[in-house]
Amino acid sequence: MRILIVEDEPDLLASLAQALREEGYAVDTADNGDDGLFNAEGTDYDAIVLDVMLPGMDGWEILRRLRKTKKTPVLMLTARDQIRDRVKGLDTGADDYVVKPFDLEEVFARLRAIIRRSANQTTNIIEIGDVKVDTAARNIFLKEKPVELTAREYALVEFLALHRGEVVTRTQLYEHLFDENESSLSNLLDVHVSNVRKKLGADFIATRRGHGYCIE
Amino acid sequence: MKIFKSIKWRLQLWYGLILVVVLAGFGFTSYQLERGRQFRRIDDELHQRMEVLKNALHRQQPRGPNGNRPFPGQPPRRQNQDEPPFDGPPLGQLPEDDPQGQNARPRFSFSLPPEAEHLFETADPHVYYFSIRSRDGKEIAGSTNQPQRTHEYVTSTYAGGPANLVKIIGGPVDQVKGLSVIINPTPPKVSSFAHYRGIFESLPSGESISVGCSVLPELNELHRTALNLTAVGGLILLVGLAGGWWLVSRSLKPIAGISATAVKISAGDLSQRINVAEAESELGQLAAVLNSTFARLETAFAQQKQFASDAAHELRTPVTVILTQTQTALNRERDAASYKQTVEACQRAAQRMRRLIESLLALARFDAGQEVLKRTRFDLAKTVSDCAEHVQPLADERGVKIISEIAPLEITGDSERLAQVVTNLLTNAIQYNQPDGEVRVKLESQGDLAMLTVTDTGPGIAAADLPRVFGRFFRADQSRTGASNAGLGLAITKAIVEAHGGTIEVASKENSGTTLTVRLPAA
Repeated sequence: MRILIVEDEPDLLASLAQALREEGYAVDTADNGDDGLFNAEGTDYDAIVLDVMLPGMDGWEILRRLRKTKKTPVLMLTARDQIRDRVKGLDTGADDYVVKPFDLEEVFARLRAIIRRSANQTTNIIEIGDVKVDTAARNIFLKEKPVELTAREYALVEFLALHRGEVVTRTQLYEHLFDENESSLSNLLDVHVSNVRKKLGADFIATRRGHGYCIE
Repeated sequence: MKIFKSIKWRLQLWYGLILVVVLAGFGFTSYQLERGRQFRRIDDELHQRMEVLKNALHRQQPRGPNGNRPFPGQPPRRQNQDEPPFDGPPLGQLPEDDPQGQNARPRFSFSLPPEAEHLFETADPHVYYFSIRSRDGKEIAGSTNQPQRTHEYVTSTYAGGPANLVKIIGGPVDQVKGLSVIINPTPPKVSSFAHYRGIFESLPSGESISVGCSVLPELNELHRTALNLTAVGGLILLVGLAGGWWLVSRSLKPIAGISATAVKISAGDLSQRINVAEAESELGQLAAVLNSTFARLETAFAQQKQFASDAAHELRTPVTVILTQTQTALNRERDAASYKQTVEACQRAAQRMRRLIESLLALARFDAGQEVLKRTRFDLAKTVSDCAEHVQPLADERGVKIISEIAPLEITGDSERLAQVVTNLLTNAIQYNQPDGEVRVKLESQGDLAMLTVTDTGPGIAAADLPRVFGRFFRADQSRTGASNAGLGLAITKAIVEAHGGTIEVASKENSGTTLTVRLPAA
């Protein structure tokens, strides 16, 4: 899962980015509105964390312009907790909002929720045959037994599970699993796929030659 | 009683009372006038009858010095037929041609002249009656319809007279109950008994005549008059009360509106206003005054609310930083460097909060007029150049050049606070400047004013934003990069300058810089 954070307060941006990376997300950051919009329009993020008060272009403006081209789920961070601000945010196209000061746990939960909703999932549990993916606890069970996966491996499974039945291209996977700072080697993805197959069964991820991967 | 504390009820009671008194007075007077009129008419009637009876008696009396002449068995009517009525000589002035009058007074009969009979018709609802008595109190003649007496009388029908006339032989007049008797009244006295009214006259010759009648018809009419007066008075009272109630309710209605509005406002809805159209009277002026007060209150409250909201908003970001920093750090074991980073970030956030709180407190003190200025005579020129020196590192960092033009100038004021003013202005001018821009600071004497101008070569401020420059939490570009002040710097600057009795102005053109001018009284 790849996320963009647009926030101008450097200390907040740094800690948010670190926390989300430790949660297994690939995280890009922008500290002003113009960069934020540029990134948001150029990449298919799984979600965007967007502050309202920004130097240059503010959060509302970014959201308004982004909605012309993309449906990326957006979580607004706002210091204004008045109802009209929330209504304005939701009406402009935000998927959810968190009022500062917030708890990280809440931000994580709301991010999971908007990503899940954008993939048309209604619960945190995705069951694929014998495999059960708990997106809230970030656990995977094979025949009711927990399976140890690295964060990146889990992210791979979660992304494919959320796009179950679709063929996901390698480019898409690169885009969603790695952030802009990682020099992704082309065979890194193959290594992750191979590890997941070892742990969850060879048939769990199907390869479509010339297209990509798929979970049936 | 709660009801008597209400203005409405008190007014109602007061004019109700006045109305009752006026109506009662009027009604009573009308009644008395009417009563007097009726009784005067009755009395006139009675006097007329008395005169008739006196004349008739006179003519039927025996001619003599004592005025008594018997007419035994002779109907007086016949005897007097050829004589015109009422024109006999008055009693007591009897003609001398009757020497027989010397005789002791004999019993004599009396009959009513026929032309006077109609005066005592029984069919008349007034039931006029009369009674004539001799000197010794015996009744010589009388009508049958005299009021009931308790005394016993012997009566015998007078053969020749009308059926209603009787000759009564009985006790003395003063024993007759049922008639108020006044023994020696000249002129005739009027008296009433029950619903009878009568007059009584004693003649010099010794006879006495009483004439009376029932005043029942008058009493009935007076009763009707009283009822009518009461009914009309009551109606007027009701109409008056209803009209008064309507008028008072209508006049007091705006008060209900005002009080309803005030209740809503005191409950917190400051947007409420009194409907002035409903209160065009004196209360309308009150309503207008109250409305303008409410408007000012609402504005003040809105500003206060906005200020509190802005302040809270400014505090939210550093608190968020501390929360996310610490929560991230505590998520797992970290190395020392990472913990250090977290602590440093928290420190930055805390210091930001401290600056904000200090600014807010300073503003609150200025607002409340509690800020005490430590006034001394000091060299403002030195303060300005010191401040310019202080901000030099920041200017260097931004590549901004500071050009000073400082004339020596002494001023009385709080040197620390005024240094804060100069520093704020210079910091602003540097922060909102362009790279390689310049800041001109100029201090000069202008009459008995000290004039400080700080000009930058920055992007300027949009004309629409100029009035808000000194407002709280105003930032030209909503940027938080200049997080050292939260948009309170110029507000505090203005508060300090005004506390010194000075003024501060801003002039700006977009893309050609901003000039802030401070004028302070030098004394």
